[in-house]
Amino acid sequence: MDKLSRPNKGDRGSNLKRKKTLVAYSFILPSLTGFFVFTFVPIIFSLILAFCQWDSGNPIQFVGLKNFFYMFLKDKSFWISLKNTIYYTAVTVPLTMAIALFLAILMNKPLKGRVFFRSVLFFPYVASLVAIAVVWMALFNPEIGPVNSILRALGVVNPPRWAASTTWAMPTIIGLTVWKGMGYYMIVYLAALQGISKDLYEAAALDGANRWQQFLNVTWPGITPTTFYILMMLMVTTFKSYDIMYITTQGGPGESTKVLAYHIFNQAFVNSKFGYASAVSMILLVIILSVTLLQFKFEKKFTSNI
Amino acid sequence: MKKRLIAGIMAVVMTAGLLAGCGGKDNVPESSPAEDGVETNGTQAEPQQADTAEATGEDVTIKVAIWDYSNTEYYKTIFDAFHAEYPNISIEIVEFSSDEYDTVITTQLGGHQDFDVVFTKGTPSLAALINQGHVYALDDLLGSDTDFDAGAYAGLVDALSLEGHTYALPFRYDNNLLYYNKNLFDAAGVAYPEDGMSMEEYHALATKMTSGEGNDKVYGALVAQWMGNIYMYAARTEDFVFDDPDTYDALIPYYKEFLAMQDEGVIFDYGMLTSSNLHYTGIFYNQQVAMLQMGTWFVNNLFENAKDFNWGVCSMPNNDGMGNENCIGGVTPVSIGAYAKHPAEAWQFMKYVCGEDGAKILASCGIIPAYSLGAVEEVFDAAPEVYPGAPDNLAKYISCEKKVIEQPMNAKGGEIYTIMEEENSAIMTKSITPEEGVQNMIDRVKAVLEE
Repeated sequence: MDKLSRPNKGDRGSNLKRKKTLVAYSFILPSLTGFFVFTFVPIIFSLILAFCQWDSGNPIQFVGLKNFFYMFLKDKSFWISLKNTIYYTAVTVPLTMAIALFLAILMNKPLKGRVFFRSVLFFPYVASLVAIAVVWMALFNPEIGPVNSILRALGVVNPPRWAASTTWAMPTIIGLTVWKGMGYYMIVYLAALQGISKDLYEAAALDGANRWQQFLNVTWPGITPTTFYILMMLMVTTFKSYDIMYITTQGGPGESTKVLAYHIFNQAFVNSKFGYASAVSMILLVIILSVTLLQFKFEKKFTSNI
Repeated sequence: MKKRLIAGIMAVVMTAGLLAGCGGKDNVPESSPAEDGVETNGTQAEPQQADTAEATGEDVTIKVAIWDYSNTEYYKTIFDAFHAEYPNISIEIVEFSSDEYDTVITTQLGGHQDFDVVFTKGTPSLAALINQGHVYALDDLLGSDTDFDAGAYAGLVDALSLEGHTYALPFRYDNNLLYYNKNLFDAAGVAYPEDGMSMEEYHALATKMTSGEGNDKVYGALVAQWMGNIYMYAARTEDFVFDDPDTYDALIPYYKEFLAMQDEGVIFDYGMLTSSNLHYTGIFYNQQVAMLQMGTWFVNNLFENAKDFNWGVCSMPNNDGMGNENCIGGVTPVSIGAYAKHPAEAWQFMKYVCGEDGAKILASCGIIPAYSLGAVEEVFDAAPEVYPGAPDNLAKYISCEKKVIEQPMNAKGGEIYTIMEEENSAIMTKSITPEEGVQNMIDRVKAVLEE
């Protein structure tokens, strides 16, 4: 390849190269413009706002680090939301991945009615979040919901009050998130599983590896890149999600399901503190960025071992 | 005087600009950069005076920001009537979703949208818009307009001022009442609720009216799930003031009573209401509850929907022995947007909609206008003839001696309400005790007010 491109030296060659570059740029221009106008500029603006006070009406005032001092030292809701975000992410991500992988392995087998089950499992992902949330909340209604009716019938005297209790509200929402997301990640895993060559399993079987050993030595390494992809996507989406809480509990009861993104939304659009909201969103950005960078580092280490 | 002169000159220049057909963005009165928002916006961003517009009289279209327009008949009726009266002023409706209205209107005005008329959902959202400089002060218009009579609003115009400036006219005033299902009381052989009940009496009455099990259960009362339905009781007797944390302790006895009622199953469970999105209207129409505290907007709904039973109203129970002396409720304010192109025409529109003409149309629909009007009482007195289930004493409950505003004008009202709603949900789900929850409210609201 190197040798082929070398003759491109000289005037004619560099013209051609420039032309090629221009063509390439022109292809990415539309999406780059979109990214620049709707993502990059707002991020920069938000970065500046984080050091300002602004209510969308009065002029922007530079306040230095005041927003950050307030956030770390005075705003209890910030710490509560941070704690809730970590709780939500730390449970949702591994749970979704484990269930998605389990289902994918199951669905990868020549099961009767496999297509039907795949569709059933994928359905929550396709359905509207609002509809799914209403159904979930109805199922888990503390007084008249089917879940508690069954629990009572089974002899549980005081079944959990789910979304109406500060202890159980977060697990209820996590359950909803997992249910909604697992179908999609199952499909992603399924694709990865089908990408593993059958020969490897045969070879392993010949060597006398049992099912578990096959999974550990063939399946798991084969899907590691997918696992990293899913891990990263899930981390990012759960860290910044607030739509589910907005629809179901509005962050309650108390502040038990208030997550960082919800806190940001409240500060910006309910309390009109756009500067402060930007400061909090910078913290969220830093968290997501560092988690992602960490994963990239690990991914290189792990995938290079294969 | 000097300011008035400057405002006058500005108005002339601006009108000239508009007449010259260059009424573009450059001529829009910008809210001038101000060191402290409220004061300067109140005086500097003064709108042009009404007489300059009367002089122009040319065809203009005013933009009106509003929610629920398409599903509320009376808006259309009033706006059409206005256009018939002022054919040179056309109305362009900009409708936003009701649930997101406060958020959207702030964002829209933040982007300097040129709404001439801005409807707001209540005092906290109005106060926030004022603080951000998004609405005009009306002082000059009020002062120079001789046919405008603020006295006809029973103090509600003053209630919509902030730091000595008036920013809005009141369109509707809805107070809160205790509604009850007469058929259920008759069937149980229990006497109807009365004015001035104590909370204990209310509790006992609700217990008597609770019957049945499972799907056939009839509850004694329903406390709708939003926070206002708790503090309303203490706010009516003026023991509780929305933006004064020192008064919050007054909520504790009410919380204790409601929690006890919830434990005994005589009111609907808070957690069940929130997680099932059950709406009070359906529950009351289906006769699953005997008593319900709700705003007077419900009267109009009941006229239309309560076909198979008779209903009545009385004043809300309380621990101070108060009868029907005080009303507690909220105002729907109407303002002029700070980036309006036709503020003078907007003022004419507001005066019409919030004045006698608008009030007559509202009243004919069973909606209570903020404008005091004998016609409203006549409509309500005649209600049982048109709507067989309605009581004959409705008029008594809309003309009380004192109209208390449930949320006084405070720019931090929205923030305070969010805190209260959060703590309320923790208290009502019994995650914390009323004492703890109220203490949290006090601490958190104090922190917000001190900021």
